[in-house]
Amino acid sequence: MNVFFGLVSAMLVGATPILLAAIGGTFTYYAGIFNIAMEGMMLVGAFCAVLGSFFLHSWFLGILCAIAGALVIAAIFVLFAVRLHTDEFLTGIALNLFAVGLTTFLLRDIFHVKGAFTDAGIQAIPAVKLPVIGNIPFLGRLLSGYNVIVYVAVVATVLCAYVIFHTRFGLRLRGAGYNAACLSSSGVSPSTIRIWSLVICAICCGLAGAYLSLGYVRLFAENMSAGRGWISLTAIILVSGNPWGIAIISLLFGFFDGLTVFLQGSAIPTQFTAMIPYVATLASLYFYSVRKRRRA
Amino acid sequence: MRKQALSGILGVLAALFIGAIVMVAQGFNPLATYSALLQYSLFSASGFSATLTRAVPLILTGLSASIAFASGPVNLGQPGQLVMGALGATLVGLFVHLPAALLIPLCIAAALIGGAAWAGLAAILKRAFAMDEFIVTLMLNFIADYFTLWAITYPLFDPTALSPMTSPISTAAWLPDIGGMNTSVVFMVAATIICWLLMSRGRAGYEWRLTGQNSLFARIGGCKVDANYVRVMLVTGALAGLAGGLMIMGGPHRFVKGLGANYAWDGIMIAVVANNGISGTFLYGLLFSALQQGAIGMELVTAVPSEFIDVLQAVIVLVVVAGRVSLNMVFDWLAARRKLKESAE
Repeated sequence: MNVFFGLVSAMLVGATPILLAAIGGTFTYYAGIFNIAMEGMMLVGAFCAVLGSFFLHSWFLGILCAIAGALVIAAIFVLFAVRLHTDEFLTGIALNLFAVGLTTFLLRDIFHVKGAFTDAGIQAIPAVKLPVIGNIPFLGRLLSGYNVIVYVAVVATVLCAYVIFHTRFGLRLRGAGYNAACLSSSGVSPSTIRIWSLVICAICCGLAGAYLSLGYVRLFAENMSAGRGWISLTAIILVSGNPWGIAIISLLFGFFDGLTVFLQGSAIPTQFTAMIPYVATLASLYFYSVRKRRRA
Repeated sequence: MRKQALSGILGVLAALFIGAIVMVAQGFNPLATYSALLQYSLFSASGFSATLTRAVPLILTGLSASIAFASGPVNLGQPGQLVMGALGATLVGLFVHLPAALLIPLCIAAALIGGAAWAGLAAILKRAFAMDEFIVTLMLNFIADYFTLWAITYPLFDPTALSPMTSPISTAAWLPDIGGMNTSVVFMVAATIICWLLMSRGRAGYEWRLTGQNSLFARIGGCKVDANYVRVMLVTGALAGLAGGLMIMGGPHRFVKGLGANYAWDGIMIAVVANNGISGTFLYGLLFSALQQGAIGMELVTAVPSEFIDVLQAVIVLVVVAGRVSLNMVFDWLAARRKLKESAE
């Protein structure tokens, strides 16, 4: 039983950052932006979370700093890709590398360390016990007692599904991606919609970043996003932007990520267990392609 | 071509200016910093040859990305192909004992094959299962990273070393230094010339670029688009693999942990700023290499951390690419105005 709860918890820990980033990416996906800057937003978010939490002595302000940091990256994306019409793909690649360089530079410049920064002064984001459900024997242990951000991710998924498919903003969002000229002719500027989608994406990625550095650890390490932004992009592409599908895929990746932690003590070298999430991405891409071909 | 050069020079200057503003904001002297940077990268004999040596992996991975992007395939697998090429060269260097004249070409071939095989895997997955190479190559990067780390931690581990690394390769496979410059530069320059001939003078390069511009048109025009796709992937993989092999043979002579570092990603950035041109990739590769080499001197002379250069590189990419688009708009506007005047007269 303990192994079961351990696996569920490890799965949620692995799934949360991918889910949050993918939910953010869903907004830009529907707005018709080829946004690959999630990785960079997440990394800058993770750094700013540690920065805020360390200097302001509050995990909440840390989260706000993370969102602010991710928004700065989004602002640069808007400036170049939306305003100056630079290629989105190129802007994304440059921004991801900019994020790696910037965080490494600031790590050195502010904290005077190389590689990773950890300190007892960093406030971690706490876990919460759900009021009613937490007292039910089995269900309580299964559903309660996780990090705040885990619940935020769940709420974000539900909100995302509602906003995109059941509100006016969601309709315009999909319009901006589906037929920008048509949206424009009905008096709504697609650029404005795209900017908003990037803002939402940055907020989600900032939260994901804060979870990485303040959630289950209290440190910032160079390039700690480790491809999670790319995996979340894959998740979006695999289910063509369906929020519920993204949730399932994220849980699947979370499961494999958790498996990595579980297999650490076993005879399999850690280098091979660390490959699991990436191999799982390739495997899911394979099943996606096969299914698509069968339909065609 | 002249427009490209103009927007490039203006962009780099603007990026350096932005960098100077950042430095002033941090309380550093930008002039002293930049002069230290140039002193240690270009205006000293040892610095210049070190810059050239450092440019080898940057330019080779840059060429790989340039050719791939110009021809259509979004091959972002240079980091993985680089370490797999390095592993290939290391394996030959460790276990094959031959005189230098035979071993060096053999190591180079192993590096080419290592990179090409890793890119070929992505090409097979694309051709057989229609899996997008963009995501596949990215994921293969991580897998290659962990795979090579495993290889140097367990089977190839040097028992006398403290951190994961292999034993030194056979001295016959070492590429010698000439006046501080490593001979791997010769291979890099040769590869650049071959790539240039291939892309702008050869029939294959013409077909590839045509496919990159409009794959349907190329198909109707009689190009074998699918076969070309596989060829491009293999060639670009081999180029990235060569970068890895030359790094082993010219540098530490063994596969050490973290060998690939960010070289391949920098190479991708170089291809992006160079707009996938071969000569542009070469020049920007030299520029990035000079910046990275000068960063070490910059940190010694002034207190600016060398990581500042990573930020500066990304700023250069963004400003040059955005500047190119904006300048083209300005040129179009000027041309339109000129035409308007002519028609009015």
